[in-house]
Amino acid sequence: MAEIAGDETPPLPSSSGAEESSLLSSPPSPTAISGDEPPPRTRKPGTKRLVLTASVLLSFLVGLPLLLKSTEIHRSPLPSDAIADLSRRLQSHPPSFPCGLHAVFLRSGPGSPVASLADQLERAISTQHHLLPASSTAGNISVSVTIQSGGGCTSSTAAASPWRCGLLTAADSVRDDEVFDELLHSALGGRDGDGMKVYTIVIAEDDDGKGTRVVIGKHRHAWVVGKVDEAEALSLIGNVFIKYFMNGGIEEGETGIGKGEFMPVGSDGNVVLSFSLLNADPNDWVYDWEFKNIGERILTPVVEALRPVADINIESQVLYHTPKSSYSYSDDKLGGNVLSMGDIPFFVNSNEWHLDTSISATGRSKVLQFVVYIPSARECPLYLQLPDGELSKTNAFISPMWGGVVIWNPPGCSVGSKKAHGTRRQMSSQELMETLEIFIGQLRQLFGLKPNYHAQGMDVATKFLVSEKGFAQWELDLLYRHHACSNLLSCVATLESLSSLVQSLPRMIVMDEIGRQVCSSTTLAEWIVHGHLLQYFFIYFSATVFDSE
Amino acid sequence: MMPPSTARRLCFLSLLLLLLLLAAAASATADAAAAEEFTEELLLRPLPDRKALAHFHFRSSAPPASAAGRHHHLFPKAISQLVQKFHISELELSFTQGRWNYEQWGGYDPMSTNNAKPPGVELWAIFDLPLAEIDATWKNLTHTLSGLFCASINFLESSTAFSAPRWGFKLNEGNLRYGALPREAVCTENLTPWLKLLPCRDKAGIASLLYRPSVYKGYYHSQKLKLKSSQSLGIILDQTLTVVLQPNTVSGKQLHSTGGQLQPSWSMEHLFSKKLSGKCLVSKSSRVFVEIEKGIVDNVDKAGSDVSSNNDLFVLSTAPDRSLKELDNLEVQSSSLYEYDVNNYNSDKPLNVGITWKLPLIWSCTRAPYHASRFLMGSGNERGSIAMSFLSTGLDKQLVDSSNDCSIKAVVFQVVPWYVKVYYHSLEVFIDGNSKAISEVVDKIHVTPSEDKLLPGTMEMLLKFPCSMQLATLTLDFDKGFLHIDEYPPDANQGFDIPSALVSFPEFNSSRSYPEADPLFVSPLLENFKEDGVVKSYTEVLLVPLTTPDFSMPYNVITFTCTVLALYFGSLLNALRRRIGEEERGLKKAGILNKRGLIPLLIAKLRGQKVDPSESESTSPASLPRSKLLLKVVFVAVVAIVFHYLSNS
Repeated sequence: MAEIAGDETPPLPSSSGAEESSLLSSPPSPTAISGDEPPPRTRKPGTKRLVLTASVLLSFLVGLPLLLKSTEIHRSPLPSDAIADLSRRLQSHPPSFPCGLHAVFLRSGPGSPVASLADQLERAISTQHHLLPASSTAGNISVSVTIQSGGGCTSSTAAASPWRCGLLTAADSVRDDEVFDELLHSALGGRDGDGMKVYTIVIAEDDDGKGTRVVIGKHRHAWVVGKVDEAEALSLIGNVFIKYFMNGGIEEGETGIGKGEFMPVGSDGNVVLSFSLLNADPNDWVYDWEFKNIGERILTPVVEALRPVADINIESQVLYHTPKSSYSYSDDKLGGNVLSMGDIPFFVNSNEWHLDTSISATGRSKVLQFVVYIPSARECPLYLQLPDGELSKTNAFISPMWGGVVIWNPPGCSVGSKKAHGTRRQMSSQELMETLEIFIGQLRQLFGLKPNYHAQGMDVATKFLVSEKGFAQWELDLLYRHHACSNLLSCVATLESLSSLVQSLPRMIVMDEIGRQVCSSTTLAEWIVHGHLLQYFFIYFSATVFDSE
Repeated sequence: MMPPSTARRLCFLSLLLLLLLLAAAASATADAAAAEEFTEELLLRPLPDRKALAHFHFRSSAPPASAAGRHHHLFPKAISQLVQKFHISELELSFTQGRWNYEQWGGYDPMSTNNAKPPGVELWAIFDLPLAEIDATWKNLTHTLSGLFCASINFLESSTAFSAPRWGFKLNEGNLRYGALPREAVCTENLTPWLKLLPCRDKAGIASLLYRPSVYKGYYHSQKLKLKSSQSLGIILDQTLTVVLQPNTVSGKQLHSTGGQLQPSWSMEHLFSKKLSGKCLVSKSSRVFVEIEKGIVDNVDKAGSDVSSNNDLFVLSTAPDRSLKELDNLEVQSSSLYEYDVNNYNSDKPLNVGITWKLPLIWSCTRAPYHASRFLMGSGNERGSIAMSFLSTGLDKQLVDSSNDCSIKAVVFQVVPWYVKVYYHSLEVFIDGNSKAISEVVDKIHVTPSEDKLLPGTMEMLLKFPCSMQLATLTLDFDKGFLHIDEYPPDANQGFDIPSALVSFPEFNSSRSYPEADPLFVSPLLENFKEDGVVKSYTEVLLVPLTTPDFSMPYNVITFTCTVLALYFGSLLNALRRRIGEEERGLKKAGILNKRGLIPLLIAKLRGQKVDPSESESTSPASLPRSKLLLKVVFVAVVAIVFHYLSNS
């Protein structure tokens, strides 16, 4: 405008307002401007001004998407609907696994059993399963019944488990339990029906007058010996199956597997068991152990047994100058120093116990610490006192998801025992084995199983055979089922919380990589929920591995 | 018939014997190899500049075993797992604060050769891996070490931070990686994880002397971790801590006054505020050495007395259990060592070794053949040059006969970050002030030029100096690069550190030997001294100031842009919306056109409108608005005064 104004000739702006419309039609005459005053404006402004104003607005509006684009945040789309759907489905139908119950009645009497009796018993047992608690991971249970008597066997129509007829008789049940357990295992063929776990309960009729007793074996079977009538047998079968095979003997209200407890397994499926021998004060005595040979030998079966649940590595170390950080008091009556339960939370001295996290525990693996604490001469012998005033039998305690501690009083230590100044000794193999047995018990507890079973709620004597692996086959089944369920649940919970987080923060960046992982894990979880990939149930989902990086 | 049968029998017997012997040997080695061992040692040495040197040496060794990395009794599990996981055959990590004084504290002994380290962190490792996998492993290793030692070693991960020297640092087959962080601050948080690797930590034994305030008050402090691993030997972990301390004695306070004693008498308690009360119980051996340098030994010899723990010049507060003579590589006695076995001392009878001077004494330590130093030349933020000078210390005069064609070799290894763009062709050499052709001096050179944001520049150079030379200077020109705004560290105006260069003299060896020691006497510390040690010295760290951007620039740009946009839109809309012509007419009607402000006047002028002089000249209608204006000013002044009065009261 200034340039136009520079060369004197063009119309002056002062007049242009008045002659806007005439400007459009004809060029203004210079005489009109220089001369007399122009008339005041009477008409409305024309379209030219409107067009100009609109063009400025338009140019701004054209720039607006550019501005928005430059401040845009990349959010990869997440399948939030699918995730919500999945979580709803899991809530209404908790994941369940098919399993089978096979009841075998061993009758001593002669004659062939009636075929209809088997079907009748089968129906009777099936009705009992409504007793199953909702939290159980067991789904549709297929029941089958076999009756064996002197004349042969009769099976119900749906018999899933192979029973080698005649291999075992009721008379065998008086033998040693361990032997009978193995016999039973061989009679059952030692294998599962197609992918489905079948639990067998054998009712061996035997009236030797000792009364009824129940034995739960190392594999997937239990047997009842004694004189039981049909109704009693049915209730026993239901009880044993539901209470132990399905729930691991954990009552309502108790903590344990399937009761909101997580298993101490890293999300990459690795667990490191780190064993440490702590010499509280090496000035008194120094103990060493032969863990490499003995420990490995005892723990290898356990590691092998747990392999489907977790990949376990074992490490050991000896540490020195590691005092505990809680106080113990001397109790003359008990002849030693006593540590009450209230002091246990302060027992682990994180300043001095450098129980290293292992380099081999990469990423998200879990490290479980198992500590043998050797008290110093001043505090020896050291006992754990239970709240009821009794001393702990194992002198050990666990800390969930962390590990366990065993207080080991060296032999020959008593109140006022003399300092064996700096002598170096070896923990005897017997003592080491006993300590390791306590650790295996602690490991069972950390995994949510009961350390030992009491025959609560059973009106007959119940015996449990102990496996050298530390875990019986049916307990491992329980762990697998629970582990799979908790994995699925935690996967869906992670996905759900991520999706709700992303929804609640509209300015949060979601990387493509995250979006892709969420999609793939959602699909995988959906497949599993629909039961398409049941055989791959123990796959670890990548969903649990990431968080919003 | 008989002779052959006896011969056969003999043969059989001898075979049997041989087998037995072999079995015995095998079982013996198995027994020997089965145990993990730990030894702790401390060496104390008075220094010529009234200070004292303390060198802690801890060795943990693990035999080769299948359970390595999993089951351990004494050896730190973390280190064993580190070696297993990253396939390390050798590794050295040092944390140093302060600079080793090669002039005063020695430059030609095992201590300065092996334990004097550049300031900050230095890490090198040799991997037992295919060459393609080494770089990735190095990156993982730096992260692991960073976590283990609570230091920023992970900054060595970037390819701009480490290099792969072939022969300038240590001869290797390309499987060595070297990195240094000159600005890393070293303090207790690095010492604590280092101590955690010792079985007794600092709870017992020699490490209990490490009283942090006295250790960190020192002039030089270097903690080092050296790992050696092989299939046959297992893993050997040497942890050393070298500190130069000022003895905290009463006479030490008068040190700077000339009238005071020349050398302070000190003991362990003066150095560490603690006495040694017993060994770490799991250690195989626990010893304290006091080393008396060659300079003092020569003086004692001159005084005509025997070099014992109590002679004409000094007396050691505790009688040693053993004394050793140290010979250098030319079989000349260099120093004497007094050994104390900590086994014989306990909390009731603590060990407190000290030295008391009977006569004032001045001595000097043995120096490296050349004193190497590095400095910057030039000014400005654009370019400069690095100069390295070698000043003869006169050692070669004693050692080498000065024939005409004699020469001394020196190897220079220097890593320069990419933002200091060194022009290697600009290398110039001056010997005693005269410029020399490069081919005359440089025997061999290997240069890896730097790549922007990718590779640091590495230079390995073998130099040959004539023996008669007094001073050699090497200069290299460089340009300073520009970094991205994100790449500047905090406090970028301080400048950037260039890691120390390493100068080694391959013809000079600082190894020691101990002819009088009995063969059963095993000391890892002295073993290290016996090892082949080429004389090395690190130069200073260089501080290069780089151009730093105005870090507030982005904000300035944003404000400028916004202002320009606001001006543009504002004036455009203004120009479109306002009807200046009508306004003017309206004003004219009111007769106040002549009171237009300066800016509308200017605009009108710009638009070529004639300003009617007659209008502006007419003064009579203007007197009224002027008084109005005056009223306004008075009103504002009154309001201001009232406000002021009210706010004050």
